[in-house]
Amino acid sequence: MAKRVRSEAGYARKLKDAVHLLFFQHHRLPGIRGWELRQELGPDWLNVLEVLDKQLQSMDLQVTRVLDDPNITDPDQAQLADARFYITMRGGIEQKTAKTIGWRVDDIAGLAVAIAFIISKQGKVPRTDVEKLLQEKLPGWRVKMSIDRYIQQGYLGEDDKGVLFLDWRSRAEVDQKQLIDLIVGFGKKADAEEAAKPEEEDA
Amino acid sequence: MSSRRKRDELEGVISLCRAVQAGSVEPFAVDIDYMLEVIRRYYPATNSFQDFCTDAAAIRGLSNVLQSQNDWIQHQSTTLYKDPFLLNQQIHRMDISAIADSFLRSWHPLVQMEQLSAKTLMGSLGYWTDLIPLAERWKDPNLQLIEAGTASMDEARALGILPEEGFADVIETFWNELEERVGKGGRIDYWDWIGADTYEETIKRSYITVFLVGYGYANIESDRFGDKIEIIRNTEPHPDPGQAKISIPTLVDYEEWKLWRKG
Repeated sequence: MAKRVRSEAGYARKLKDAVHLLFFQHHRLPGIRGWELRQELGPDWLNVLEVLDKQLQSMDLQVTRVLDDPNITDPDQAQLADARFYITMRGGIEQKTAKTIGWRVDDIAGLAVAIAFIISKQGKVPRTDVEKLLQEKLPGWRVKMSIDRYIQQGYLGEDDKGVLFLDWRSRAEVDQKQLIDLIVGFGKKADAEEAAKPEEEDA
Repeated sequence: MSSRRKRDELEGVISLCRAVQAGSVEPFAVDIDYMLEVIRRYYPATNSFQDFCTDAAAIRGLSNVLQSQNDWIQHQSTTLYKDPFLLNQQIHRMDISAIADSFLRSWHPLVQMEQLSAKTLMGSLGYWTDLIPLAERWKDPNLQLIEAGTASMDEARALGILPEEGFADVIETFWNELEERVGKGGRIDYWDWIGADTYEETIKRSYITVFLVGYGYANIESDRFGDKIEIIRNTEPHPDPGQAKISIPTLVDYEEWKLWRKG
């Protein structure tokens, strides 16, 4: 019995340590590497993260893992040790909430278009192409400023040849598949309903 | 056909390959057969070093295009793939608010905190207490206008402007002193080595010890918690190649010096 109590206390302490490691910024960039978590939490660090993730669920938060190679679907221990772990919001946020955290609707839409466009082009697009696309709906001066901001905040990266790619923050925060599905699926439901209307009226 | 025209055509192939690499041209938009045919056509006439380099760059570019085509097919087979044209059409069709909504539904912002701990605050308060007010630190220096003059090296040494001996001599003297105290290859506790009757002398000894270790005259070893730090005299002045190259920061604190003096 005493052993069990001791073990539970040990696990609770590890959960507390995991919260400290994941919530507070320790490095220049947020998040913490898997090997650092293993070093602090011990060999069962992945189980500790799983328990923490379940506990965070009620607060609309989650433990997010970002692998160095985004194409890996089933990582091994070494790849998990190199992965970066973050706490992110579990659900999406509303436009009015986004405004309160300093994002204009134009900025959000610009970032969404840039990310979607880069994904559709296999992750690499010349900056001029993204600027051209954004300039169709946003003023030119704002486009340049917005792209610089996305780069500065870590959502986009730019190499020395002026080619944009998705940087660490997009990989940590954006559900790329959901974003693409939502954009491609936009209006389909409404179109289907529209198509169904005359038939109903005829009936 | 002139060699100039030949090079222009090959350079056209190279720049097309670069455009594919940069993502401005789709990998399947280029005609691989035509590019191969250009490279093949000019290869027999390649004779200068520059021609060979241009030819090699064209082949390398072509292989990169083939790699991009392979990546493109792999990307198309993933769940992320959606036709870029369709995606573009949709983006044009959607208003800004609808695009923003789609993004917000797939966006999970990071949660992170930067917080001061009670320990950090205590440390900062201690620093603030010890900080000398600006009025004292930036006091107007009491300057006097004096006649410029000259001094010999001996006079400069006597005034303390130049050291009595060269820095290498200082290190050698220090190394010999270490040998006298612990013998060749012997070791001594860090504080017992740097500690002196005055705090200023202790600081000076710790400063020279940094160079003694850095130049390989001695080594420094610390236990895991940094509680026990020792200086080991090397028999020959060279760094131990078996040792990991790490820095061991040592705090030569006034309070610690006073404790050491009390024994």
